[in-house]
Amino acid sequence: MMSQKNNFPPTLNFEIPAMSEQTIPTARTIYRPTATVQGPGGDKVSIEVRDLNFYYGEKQALHGINISILEHEVTAFIGPSGCGKSTLLRCMNRMNDLIDGTRAEGQILIEGQNIYDKDVDVIELRKHVGMVFQKSNPFPMSIYDNITYGLKIQGRKKKRELDEVVEKSLRGAALWDEAKDRLHESGLSLSGGQQQRLCIARAIAVEPDILLMDEPCSALDPIATARVEELIHELKKTFTIVIVTHNMQQAARVSDKTAFFYLGNLIEFNQTEQIFLNPSDAQTEAYVSGRFG
Amino acid sequence: MNKAADTDPNQETGYKTATAGNFRSRRLHFLGLDSDDIVKAFFGGNATLAIIVLLLIMFFLFKEGSGFAGQNATELVSFRQSGLEYVDLMRSQLNAFNDLPRHLSKMEAEDIKFRMKEGDELKEAREHTKELRDYTMELRKAVRPLDRHIKELSETSIVLRDAYKTYLNRCQEKDNLQREADKAARRGNTELENRFRAEAAAVRIASIDVAARRATVTNRLPEFLAINAELRAKLGVLLENAPAVDREVEDEMRRFRSKAQRFIEVSLQTEDKLRSWDAERPMPFSRRITSFLFGRDWVTNSYFQDWYGVLPLLYGSVVVSFIALFFAVPLGIAGAVYVNQFASHSEQKFIKPYIEFISAIPSVVIGFFGVIVWGQFVREASGWAIFSWIPGFPISERLNAFTAGCLLALMAIPTIFTLAEDALNNVPKAFKEASLAVGATRLQTTIRIVIPTALSGMISAVLLGFGRVIGETMVVLLCAGNRISIPDFSDGFSTLFQPVHTMTGIVAQEMGEVVSGSIHYRALFLVGTLLFFISLAINYMAQKIMRRYSIAEK
Repeated sequence: MMSQKNNFPPTLNFEIPAMSEQTIPTARTIYRPTATVQGPGGDKVSIEVRDLNFYYGEKQALHGINISILEHEVTAFIGPSGCGKSTLLRCMNRMNDLIDGTRAEGQILIEGQNIYDKDVDVIELRKHVGMVFQKSNPFPMSIYDNITYGLKIQGRKKKRELDEVVEKSLRGAALWDEAKDRLHESGLSLSGGQQQRLCIARAIAVEPDILLMDEPCSALDPIATARVEELIHELKKTFTIVIVTHNMQQAARVSDKTAFFYLGNLIEFNQTEQIFLNPSDAQTEAYVSGRFG
Repeated sequence: MNKAADTDPNQETGYKTATAGNFRSRRLHFLGLDSDDIVKAFFGGNATLAIIVLLLIMFFLFKEGSGFAGQNATELVSFRQSGLEYVDLMRSQLNAFNDLPRHLSKMEAEDIKFRMKEGDELKEAREHTKELRDYTMELRKAVRPLDRHIKELSETSIVLRDAYKTYLNRCQEKDNLQREADKAARRGNTELENRFRAEAAAVRIASIDVAARRATVTNRLPEFLAINAELRAKLGVLLENAPAVDREVEDEMRRFRSKAQRFIEVSLQTEDKLRSWDAERPMPFSRRITSFLFGRDWVTNSYFQDWYGVLPLLYGSVVVSFIALFFAVPLGIAGAVYVNQFASHSEQKFIKPYIEFISAIPSVVIGFFGVIVWGQFVREASGWAIFSWIPGFPISERLNAFTAGCLLALMAIPTIFTLAEDALNNVPKAFKEASLAVGATRLQTTIRIVIPTALSGMISAVLLGFGRVIGETMVVLLCAGNRISIPDFSDGFSTLFQPVHTMTGIVAQEMGEVVSGSIHYRALFLVGTLLFFISLAINYMAQKIMRRYSIAEK
């Protein structure tokens, strides 16, 4: 832990702009990307959301969202509570299907295919789009079984193969050193931060292309948070990562791009530095400078 | 010194004067209690009252039941001393013999049934089996001398037993009075002591010479041996001249022969037992209770000897409960899993109240349905061709363990369903989401994650369902057939279709007509106590399992 201390907390290498006199505006302006934003991982689009409207029963939660998420980048969704960022995230692997009375209009293209098409098998989709939840939720079984669960349900049962995947996933989730001697102990015996990394290991064990993270650090202490953030940096080499966070410093630290949502609208989407240093929208500026939210 | 100005600096500023009374409660008080205290006292009082009532019930059960041991000792001792036990040995041999003609009669009935199926008229068929019938008659005739002899002996013994029991009771009464007198003496209450002493002296005990009177029975052993030897000889002759039977019942005939051979062995063993029987052999202390717990007979109001063995009743209760669970567990659990995991919201809204509604049906109504409709149906159905391969089918009794078990299943389903559904509901939603997020189907998630997580809750649901069923009275009283016997398990599967009596049923049936304080009365209380302990154990286990295996985090 001591070696961690030197690079923690990761410092923001830009300054938060001074507060302007502007009052908080209402959400009217809808952001439409005019140009593809160049990122570090090339310019291959991984997820493209087109004119997505989403409804919980009568209530509309997302209004005409358009966003392109590039491969091997970390994209952060920020915004005040109830702004629709988690809803959009859960649309990307159709987790919202579990809730009765929800309805989506528009398209989400992953690898060029609309995941809301009739012939899409949700089960196959979820194998490609993994998810890590807000609260760590390891199954009440051993660490080993937790990680191999996703493979076993696909019918992969060879012990050699499973052993390899367990090691690879735990290394990938930076948990190998801590867990290698206790693989057959209950996943619930780990600490909170370790449990969350176990959940990440479980998600990456099935080798998805995209990893969705729904406030993965909100229940963790600062040290555990730092470890998960470090991990995200590592993971983006292999996966496309979309992360929802309430913590703006975290968004600034881990993400390449940031999208700001407000009242179900995508207000602004840009390079993270741009969003925090030089937002083009007044609402974004008000939010990132802490005046509302 | 101006005291007012000195102590009241706030007066001019308009603030209230700070005094010690400021923090005193302003709520309404009644007898020094405020509303919170009253509510607390009310509910606390109710809980205490419930516990006290429970303790009283337990105490009363034990008090009434515990007298059984002492009274049973008197019964057992007089049974032995009067030589009735001796006669009982002979009787059990007689019963073994009586099984032989019964076997043949059953065989004959089967043969007739078979012939009629082949197209014979009843008269023709009976004509055909006449030889067998005559043979059976011969068997019955052969045992008559033995029967008469045993009857004679038992009459003598019963008279002696009753006299001896009276004698023992009188002795005990006198003893008790003496003890009371001693107690009074120790306390120094001379007047009371004298009164007790006088009462004790007034108890007349007619002395009886048990040994001599018993000898009138035991001395007749040579007579018995002679009759027995004759019977064996007759049986041997009869076995050699057994009539030829139809091929269909040949197996049964073979069984009859082996039964007869076994009887001859039993008969010889009985003679040995009679020779070595000794009235003065001490009765082990534990017999007072073991004769209840492991006794195979529950016989009351018999002319010979009453027995209070709980085993047939325990067997009845257990077998009926297991039949009930056999149906209720799969249905209840599967229903809970379906409703909780797969059913749509509208289905849930429809199914759940309906299943819970079943538990609102009064048990007497279910019992009535069982007597009128279900029992009749079971008997009818047992005659269907598709069941003809089951030995013992079609069944003859419409009220039997199976009928009662099915109806009890109906009553256990709501309990199991509701509790299992709760257990499934308590599985954290996060587990389900996590499983789905790695690409599991709904079925895989249910089988691999949800059910294992809820397993402890579901096991305890089953246990509580069991508790519900074993304590149920009305349905078994109406539908179980109420025959007190441990059936012959050689019938295999159809044993389940024989009438049984249950522990709850016997208490409900007999409690109304027993003499308060008699041994029968105490035996019924002991049955109640046993039932109480079984329920207690089941509930305790259910709670233990629920706690031990539930996941700490919800």
